[in-house]
Amino acid sequence: MEGFFSVFTIELFNSGIRLATPILLAALGGALCNKAGVLNLALESKMLLGAFLGIVAAYYFGNTYLGILVAVIAGGLLGWLFAFLYHRYQVDLVILAIALNLIILELTVYIMRVLFGQTGSWSDPSIVRVPDIHIPIIQDIPVIGGLLSGYNFFVYLSWAIAITLYVVLYHTTFGRHIRAVGENKEAAETVGINARRIQTLALVLSGMLAALGGAFLSVGHLKLFTRNMSNGRGWTAIAAALFGLNHPIGTFFASLFFGFADAFSVRIQNVTDLPPNLVEILPNFATVLVLVLIALRETVTRSMARSRSRAQIRAAADEKPGPA
Amino acid sequence: MALALEMKGISKYFASTDVRANDQVDFAVEAGEVHALVGENGAGKTTLMSILYGLVRPDAGEIKVDGQPVQIHRPDDAIRHGIGMVHQHFKLVPSFTVAQSIMLGMEPNRGGFLTPNEENRIVSELAERHGLPVDPKARIRDLPVGMQQRVEILKVLERKAKILVLDEPTAVLTPQEVAELMRVVRNLSQAGFTVIFITHKLLEVVRVADRVTVMRGGRNVGSKAVAETTVPELARMMVGREVLLKVNKAPRQPGPVVFAADDVSVTDVRGFPAVTRVSFEVRAGEIVGIAGVSGNGQTELVEAVTGMRALDGGRLALNAKDATSLSVRQRRNAGLAHIPEDRIHVGLNLETNLDENLIVSRYKLGQFNRAGFLNRRSMRDFAIDVIKRFSIAAAVPGGGISRLSGGNMQKVVIGRELAGEPTFIVANQPTRGLDVGSIEFVHRSLVDARDRGAGILLVSVELEEILALSDRVLVMYRGQIQGEVDPATATEEQIGLLMAGAQPETTAPTA
Repeated sequence: MEGFFSVFTIELFNSGIRLATPILLAALGGALCNKAGVLNLALESKMLLGAFLGIVAAYYFGNTYLGILVAVIAGGLLGWLFAFLYHRYQVDLVILAIALNLIILELTVYIMRVLFGQTGSWSDPSIVRVPDIHIPIIQDIPVIGGLLSGYNFFVYLSWAIAITLYVVLYHTTFGRHIRAVGENKEAAETVGINARRIQTLALVLSGMLAALGGAFLSVGHLKLFTRNMSNGRGWTAIAAALFGLNHPIGTFFASLFFGFADAFSVRIQNVTDLPPNLVEILPNFATVLVLVLIALRETVTRSMARSRSRAQIRAAADEKPGPA
Repeated sequence: MALALEMKGISKYFASTDVRANDQVDFAVEAGEVHALVGENGAGKTTLMSILYGLVRPDAGEIKVDGQPVQIHRPDDAIRHGIGMVHQHFKLVPSFTVAQSIMLGMEPNRGGFLTPNEENRIVSELAERHGLPVDPKARIRDLPVGMQQRVEILKVLERKAKILVLDEPTAVLTPQEVAELMRVVRNLSQAGFTVIFITHKLLEVVRVADRVTVMRGGRNVGSKAVAETTVPELARMMVGREVLLKVNKAPRQPGPVVFAADDVSVTDVRGFPAVTRVSFEVRAGEIVGIAGVSGNGQTELVEAVTGMRALDGGRLALNAKDATSLSVRQRRNAGLAHIPEDRIHVGLNLETNLDENLIVSRYKLGQFNRAGFLNRRSMRDFAIDVIKRFSIAAAVPGGGISRLSGGNMQKVVIGRELAGEPTFIVANQPTRGLDVGSIEFVHRSLVDARDRGAGILLVSVELEEILALSDRVLVMYRGQIQGEVDPATATEEQIGLLMAGAQPETTAPTA
């Protein structure tokens, strides 16, 4: 059992944070869309596109940051295309998302083969991974330094975006308009709020965030692209947004939870004899568990209300006939 | 007097439904008056007001505000010209506070950041200025309907509206709330605001309006000063012929009990108590009316009675046999018929044809069913028979039903439900959204069924309908029977107090 507990280390924490980052970025985009009343089930493909374009553009431009920029712009354009098809032609967002998820998966493999002759994975020695940032002073504090310092800019940026999104949604006029559109679109429109513009913006921003999360995978965490690199993280992000009740801070902690589940399953493979395939499904199992919990919360609220109602009925019964 | 608003030659044709909703309509409103706009459903009053508010683009016509021609393409334009609209279905965000709702789209801010204290102060001042007190920090979802409507009115006033359009504002209110609204409307008019009051209830016109415009079939059929007209005259203008305002019916001949609810409790979809310990009986040959403001448990009670929702406690009996846990089909076989509230989604299946809709409650009978296969010919014969008996003029045997008018759709439902000569009929809002002609038909059908010996449970939020049809009236409030009244002697005020939750013994309102 010593081996089992040895997985709980600062390295586990570090890798949990790293693995949570792409999920968090995409999940914030998903939460924003949910708040604006547009279902975004295409986070997975936007992430995959970001991962692919990020590394390919970094290779051709010879600059990783330009690569990331290209990925983010492409994610935004994809989000805009979504909004355009939705608003102009009333295309069903669920069907659109399914189609896009399938197309992007095959398209990235196809282009990878045309450009680089590879179908499984691709990398190039010229590509530079985004460097880690060692924060002065903080990095020298024992334990805390090891926990908070030493990640690359994606990680810190994702935290900043979570906080910014919270402030925007709950403390600015613009954020209130977003929430109004999501909760009652007609109410917002009748006071002159442009719901279409807000929903378009939400889809564009969430595309950019998901693509940024994807780029983290290919040039921030590793420096290679593999077929289906997002590997379900876009879907996990949707679960994280739901688990976080679409609140940016809630989403932050939900994403951390999934990141740690991921990190844990990686670590545990090194220290136990459990079959790797079994361990790999751990994070997915956690996702299902969380979704069940969310559903249970509804059921529990309902049954609590129900038992309160029974109590009221009994109380009414005691009251009504009076002491006869 | 100066005209606050003038609409000239407004026309609108909807190609998708082939309806000429507005046909060369002229409409003028004087400054500071309360102007009622009346007409049946589909007469074009909502279209006219949607055009005024920029929700619908007219094909032709012009609009003048204070004598100046204006272009209104979007609600923003209407608001800019001082036109405000209180919609029939409130446009509010449930999780927002009163202040947040009123200030939505025009929030006080510092560089884009919200300033909640200033917001609450503005709303308090606004409410005080107009004598419409509200709690700025209360959540919309916690407010009663009358209060939500007040928020909508304040929302319009904060946007500097000089012309207020109220679309069917009394449809969701208790009689007391209606009286309060009438007072508010009169005060606004005295303070110089112009109010356009859309309604189809003529008694309200007489109570609140200075002038009235009647619409029929997309045209303006006349504008009059209220002082110079009468309710029967307005009714005639509205319908285009004489209307029976009263239902003729013979005295009731009550027979044995056909339905009994004993101590019934039901919870709603969210798990909250909707019906609490309700007991009543319906006898053969009588109509029992359930009055009440919508949302006081009527829907859940009907669902429990018809088998659509499980009981939380209590028992039901159909024709003296226990029916508490019978399925819908078993209840129907025991003599139940159900005319549901929502004819489009629950009452009918618009995807299938007339024949199929008519036999959907009896397709297992040998007459229509041969070893699991439907007998198309006997279905057709049955449809032809029902069309004749219930004079569903526009329906074609084997034809689609999705393009029928609301009145004809309801005739299909009633035809199906009453064709089997049920002993107990549940009719929930059977005339909602129907024109006067169809309302007469529905009322006649129900009274005929009663005279034939059926017991009827009639649920309606239209007090006039309840009083005209019922032999006995039960008033529901917060899931309980608040009291029983005799429709022959009860006054509207008496019932109104019960609807608002007053105890039947005490006469003073407990507000």
